[in-house]
Amino acid sequence: MAVQVRIPTVFRKYTADQATVEVAGGTIADVIDQLEASHPGLKEQLMTAEGELHRFVNVYVNDEDARYLEKLETKVSEGDTVSLLPSVAGGSS
Amino acid sequence: MTDGLNLSRSIADEMIAHLRAGRPNEGCGLLAGEDALVTKVIRMTNAAASPMRYALDPKEQFSAYRLIEDGGLSLAGVFHSHTHTEAYPSPTDVRLASEDVPYVIVSLAEDPPVIRAFRIVKANWTDETGEIVEVPVVIDG
Repeated sequence: MAVQVRIPTVFRKYTADQATVEVAGGTIADVIDQLEASHPGLKEQLMTAEGELHRFVNVYVNDEDARYLEKLETKVSEGDTVSLLPSVAGGSS
Repeated sequence: MTDGLNLSRSIADEMIAHLRAGRPNEGCGLLAGEDALVTKVIRMTNAAASPMRYALDPKEQFSAYRLIEDGGLSLAGVFHSHTHTEAYPSPTDVRLASEDVPYVIVSLAEDPPVIRAFRIVKANWTDETGEIVEVPVVIDG
């Protein structure tokens, strides 16, 4: 069983509209590199130029926020689900 | 890509009730359904707790996305209130727009509240500016 990556609507233009993409295990960083290999342009949406996860992207490994695990070094195994969530916010001014 | 949103009167009323209950702060939530038809209102907490800003709590957002998926639905829109200003995207709304779904803005400055929806079109989702495209909101009932 592979790792399922859930893709939010904002990034589906890079995945041919697929809401879920399969990759192999590794770290979150490995997962993002695999996503980039099969869906070019996606990594730049998720990472800063300094190699950090963009602060407006939340990454969940199963039910846990990777920010409270090992961030990009969080290990992801076969059968795990990685969910990408963009921050949702706004205001009236 | 859907061109607008269809919702029942009861869905619209549920959305308005949640936003009114959030005053004096902005309220927010998610809409779920199938294509343009909204069948579910997901009330969310405004983690910014401000009369001028809203933000979804990531953990609550994650749970809501799971709820939508487990229900066989899709994310149909994001809604929030403008407590004293018009139902139109502010510069902040545009700058922080992320998900590629209609953004429903409900102005509580008028009675009955005004409900409008917009797509925020940006070349890159982190762009600070973008094009505002209004999409129709059809309320049945």
